[in-house]
Amino acid sequence: MKQKSLGKTFLWLFLALPILGFSQGTVSGNITDSNYGDPLAGVNVVVKGTSQGAISDFDGNYSISVANFPATLVFSSLGYETKEVTVEGPTTLNVSLGESATGLDEVVVTGLGTSIKRSNLANAVATVSNEELVGTTAQTTLDGALYGKLTGVNITSSSGAPGGGFALRLRGISSINGNNQPLYIVDGVYVNNAEIPSGLRFASGANRGNEENSANRIADLDPNDIQNIEVLKGASAAAIYGTRANAGVVIITTKRGSQGKTEVKFSQDTGFNTIINKLGLRPWTAQSVEDTFGAAEVDLYNQAIASGGLFDYEDIIYGETGLITDTRISASGGDEKTKFYVGASYRDEEGIIKNTGFNRFSLRANVDHTISNTFSFSASSNYVRSSSSRSFTGNENEGGLSYGYTLAFTRPWINLFPDDTGAYPDNPNYSGNPIFVRDQAVNEDKNNRFIQGIKLTTNLLNTGDDAVKLIFNGGADFLANETFVYVPETHQAQRGNQNGFIGVGKNNFTNFNYQGIAVWNRNAMGGDLALTSQAGISYLEQQADLIFNQSTQLIPGQTNLSQGSAQAITQTTSTVKEFGYFAQVEGNYQDQLIGTVGYRFDKSTLNGDPNKFYGFPKASLAVNLHNFDFWSDGVFQRLKIRAAYGETGSSGAFGSAFTGLNQVSVGGIGGSSISALKGDPDIEPETSSEFEVGFDAGLFNKVNLEVSYYNRVVSDLLLSRVLPTSTGFGSETTNLADLKNEGLEVGITVNPVQNENFFWSSNINWWFNRSEVTRLDVPAFPQPGAGFGLGLGTFYIEEGKPVTQLAGNVNGVPTQIGNVEPDFQMGFFNNFTIAKQFDVSFLLQWKKGGDNLNLSRLLTDLGGTTPDLDTPEGIARNASPIAAVRFVEPAGYLRLREAAVYYRLPSSALAFFGDAVTGIKLGVSGRNIFTITDYSSYDPETSTNGGAGLSSGIEVTPFPSTKQFYFHLNVNF
Amino acid sequence: MKIIHKYKAIGGLALLILFGAVITACSFDEQVDPNRPSLAGVLTDASQNQLNNLVVGVESAMRNSLAIQTTGSGTMARELYLFDADPRNTQDLLGANGISLDNNSFYSTAPWGGRYVSIKNANILLESVENTEQVTDTQKAGYRGYAKTIIAFELIEVLKSYNRARIDVADPDNLGPILEFDAALTAVRALLDEALTDLNGAGAEFAFPLAGFSGFDTPSGFAEFNRAVAAVAAVYAGDGNAALTALSNSYFDLAGDLTIGPKHVYSLDSGDFTNGLFKIPDNNGDQIIVHPSFIADAEAGDTRVDSKTLIRANPTTQDGLSGDYQTALYASNISPIDMLRNEELVLVYAEANILANDLFEAEDAINVIRNSASLPVYTGALTAEALTTEMLNQRRYSLWCENHRMFDLRRYNLSNTLPIDRAGDQVFNTLPVPLSENE
Repeated sequence: MKQKSLGKTFLWLFLALPILGFSQGTVSGNITDSNYGDPLAGVNVVVKGTSQGAISDFDGNYSISVANFPATLVFSSLGYETKEVTVEGPTTLNVSLGESATGLDEVVVTGLGTSIKRSNLANAVATVSNEELVGTTAQTTLDGALYGKLTGVNITSSSGAPGGGFALRLRGISSINGNNQPLYIVDGVYVNNAEIPSGLRFASGANRGNEENSANRIADLDPNDIQNIEVLKGASAAAIYGTRANAGVVIITTKRGSQGKTEVKFSQDTGFNTIINKLGLRPWTAQSVEDTFGAAEVDLYNQAIASGGLFDYEDIIYGETGLITDTRISASGGDEKTKFYVGASYRDEEGIIKNTGFNRFSLRANVDHTISNTFSFSASSNYVRSSSSRSFTGNENEGGLSYGYTLAFTRPWINLFPDDTGAYPDNPNYSGNPIFVRDQAVNEDKNNRFIQGIKLTTNLLNTGDDAVKLIFNGGADFLANETFVYVPETHQAQRGNQNGFIGVGKNNFTNFNYQGIAVWNRNAMGGDLALTSQAGISYLEQQADLIFNQSTQLIPGQTNLSQGSAQAITQTTSTVKEFGYFAQVEGNYQDQLIGTVGYRFDKSTLNGDPNKFYGFPKASLAVNLHNFDFWSDGVFQRLKIRAAYGETGSSGAFGSAFTGLNQVSVGGIGGSSISALKGDPDIEPETSSEFEVGFDAGLFNKVNLEVSYYNRVVSDLLLSRVLPTSTGFGSETTNLADLKNEGLEVGITVNPVQNENFFWSSNINWWFNRSEVTRLDVPAFPQPGAGFGLGLGTFYIEEGKPVTQLAGNVNGVPTQIGNVEPDFQMGFFNNFTIAKQFDVSFLLQWKKGGDNLNLSRLLTDLGGTTPDLDTPEGIARNASPIAAVRFVEPAGYLRLREAAVYYRLPSSALAFFGDAVTGIKLGVSGRNIFTITDYSSYDPETSTNGGAGLSSGIEVTPFPSTKQFYFHLNVNF
Repeated sequence: MKIIHKYKAIGGLALLILFGAVITACSFDEQVDPNRPSLAGVLTDASQNQLNNLVVGVESAMRNSLAIQTTGSGTMARELYLFDADPRNTQDLLGANGISLDNNSFYSTAPWGGRYVSIKNANILLESVENTEQVTDTQKAGYRGYAKTIIAFELIEVLKSYNRARIDVADPDNLGPILEFDAALTAVRALLDEALTDLNGAGAEFAFPLAGFSGFDTPSGFAEFNRAVAAVAAVYAGDGNAALTALSNSYFDLAGDLTIGPKHVYSLDSGDFTNGLFKIPDNNGDQIIVHPSFIADAEAGDTRVDSKTLIRANPTTQDGLSGDYQTALYASNISPIDMLRNEELVLVYAEANILANDLFEAEDAINVIRNSASLPVYTGALTAEALTTEMLNQRRYSLWCENHRMFDLRRYNLSNTLPIDRAGDQVFNTLPVPLSENE
């Protein structure tokens, strides 16, 4: 039977081909918004069933060549309902598209080789479009750009330095010592998001690399290159990614060309940033100086007052206005066989501390080519050169480098500026002069990075009812990172000790991955049931080679490694290999019932047994009630009920299985000393199983509602726990706990006013997460590296308590004193289009509840410089013991995260430029414009431990956050 | 056409299967640490080189957290203040505002952890020596004598800070109990005697080099160190006669150079440490400030005050505490720190004689110390009580900032005699055992 029908198809094709072959031509026209007639730019126009496509320009004009008539043109644009129109021949076709606030027709990746329409999706997969990501204001990094735009996401900033330093948490903490950052996939390439320390801790005395406040390397990706981002937040959506997906998956698709006229775009953002808020000076009087520092200090204070007043070192160090420029140019277009997108961008950002900054030069070339009906390929190439200068912030121990430390102790009547000879005075209050550090010490990094993705698709079979294709995709991400730290021998804490410090890091990372997938689409039951099956393999390899060279006892004024008499080298290499099989079947019965089952097997060299496969199942069902016959439109136009279950895993960090000996030396003799980490040779991946239920509804023709509840259990949680140190070991990473996260996510989109001259759309994201440690095989313990012990407060792993609890010693008993998990979070986005020409938008973010441990204040209290020390609260606080409970502060806030006004020049104004210019858009915008919070320091979003598993909410003298303002110019040619 | 398509499909699938098979066929190798030798690798059939590397590991780790251990107990015993950016040095350790010591802060966790790293290395060495045939039995005895002596030395340091110690730590998965002071000290003394037996059977030369044991790096030389430690342990146990016996077999020399003894040595070499008790003179924000009472209580003309302390260019104040003097104990960041020098042994001799009721001999020893500090001979009462007071005072000045004072006052129940600098401060004389010991 099958053969017969196949034969018929081909016979028909054979007969039709010659006729169709001659009926080709061009269809062109204008695309507008059906609500208010505004031209729609960037609409994809595709000839259905072919790869021919075009994209509309700023005025909504499109032109597409059609090979065979009659043809069906598909008009689609993110945020609009997709429309299909059949054309019989070359013609002018004007189309208007209706808003689709939910993006129901947008396609979401659900398998490794397949995708599904959002309206049929059984998971709450969040999608962020280019417009949502960077459409309001300019963004330095893509993770920072996601603040407030997705439900279920918590973003922490470990540094306000240009170039970022962010950690993304999807649906709470799912992994503490495994992969605790989401997997980032850019055009099929598993990219590196390492946070690479510069080794400045060997000069500053910081405890660990993650206290150095380095950037995470997703910062190399230009957010403007991104077409859209899909965030698979939990195991139920991400199961097909197996052992890499415990912390979620962020799938990034970059911009690609489409068939039609070559479009050239130029954009220029110019702006500046300033400190987000200043904490100010303590209101000093001679009396308070004497009370705090003794009578002798009063003379110094009086001298300063007499000779021009106090020095506000906070303003002197953090008070710069940093200039930001971001220039981008791109061209895209193509013909029916080949489509391209090429772009270049350069961003240059100065920090609020003199001599700090970030710049990034990015080149991108994305090419899609159809070789034949059978073969096609896509290539995505991205070269990035970025560099940053981040100076010295965060935790330290007597290095005299970190500004927050220095400022905490420096009294404002001390003049630290260089004298006439250029000599910097010593700081009498601390071990470093911040002006000297700012002007003379260096902490820089440089990155050369090449990310190449490739995808080859082979259409093996297409009979109408059966289609089989093979997809091979993969890629490589090569990153060469160089760090340079220099502290001159004249620095106060260096003189007579290290006598100058140079640290040079040369760090190479190579990631490569590939997948081979066979996809079989079958129309069964006469087309009522569409089955999409896929099976394949996946391989991932990550190599890292980190070399750190240190030189001290420097020849004065020299910055070359060899100009020091005490040198040390450390090298850390690692190779991780992972291999997996996967298979998935998806069935769609008349868009009414959509079900998926899938399974993945993974093995990894990170596990104790590198050849043992671990299995990760998934299953989901979506029921589109509105597509059933019984449905009658009432209040609900649309109602989908969905449920999904899935499992993912995460292997331990490299080295968790090994117990080794470290190199030591004494008196010129080398030797071996036990490494603090006790390896677990039987280490297994932790597994997270998530069940998610929810519904999506369309109400009153205006409101879209998406509600999801999830319950995720992480079994055999990998935990680095403190061992009794009398064993000689410090810690071990093993599977020894279970963790539960549950939460609710609500997304509401409303279009309250839809007039021709006034269009308002509004979006509310509201979510919360709760966690609990449900099993712990060992006594409760402070999480190593996530705090400063129970004396000052720490994360504390304890059965029956949230994993995010902060604990401290209260009367000798470890006691919960706070919880960094917010009660809930909310993003409130509004967009207004006024008189067709103006766009006004803003994003408010509200974090309710959640605590921080503000240890910056511990330092300023000790230094006597906290601004509130003369208030009753300050006096009472200062008289209380130094205990963790003293430094817990509420960290909720309401922040105007983004706001912008844009103006599009009307077509009449563009006529001035003739044909050369097809669109001009001007705008002003801002980021972090205001914040309302009870938190006493710079930013409630803070972390002293970088992006590590439990890192948020503990503050030690960070690089202050900034607010940024921009002027935008976009020109299309 | 359809046939072609079919073949393509079959061919493609076959290709994919082949591809998958190729990948799985090459299974992953057993993983080894590319960055460092494994522990398992030295536990069986270790070469002499590997054993000697462990010997270095033992000696090197004796210096772990030595600075924190010394400044912590020195602060608690009002010998000094540590003015740096961590307020716990001036708050917790001095009991400010009614605070209690925390069992999860650096000052309580680091000295404990540091000592047990050295002990762990010594235990690895002992196990490796058992499981190898690459060295002779005589050589093995040398390794054992060395390892056991160092374990005992380190356990005494634990007892001085914590008043308790976990003795049996050879098996990390099956730790012995934490013993109280007397029981622990008994075990330590037995271990020292065991080590002496090993050293006595270790031939003329060690099979390994040592760094800070110049003059003590042969079995017989090291045995003298072993006995010196045994003498210290004996006086801590109140056993004067045993101490005297042990001293007679050590490098104790009433008439000799008081500086003689093994040292923790430092260098700028890669993998080596610098002396954490060295502080840049007149620096701010990272200072060991001499407790004013140490200056005020000193006898006029005591040269130890001048040699160990230095007046600051500017007096310094932090957290309501102040001082005019800073440490001058070490000239540079690679100056050695004494483990146990003859000066301490002379004082141990004095103490042992007081315990053994030979007060004249005790007085003689005290006068050796006094004379070395340019002080006149002792003229006080010749009673055990008065001599003990004098002996402790000489220990205070001879061993300032060397992790003795807190324990000396505790073992003589004199901690309550310490001055209180700020209203609300308290005196603590024992560190809490770290939380991670899970008691």
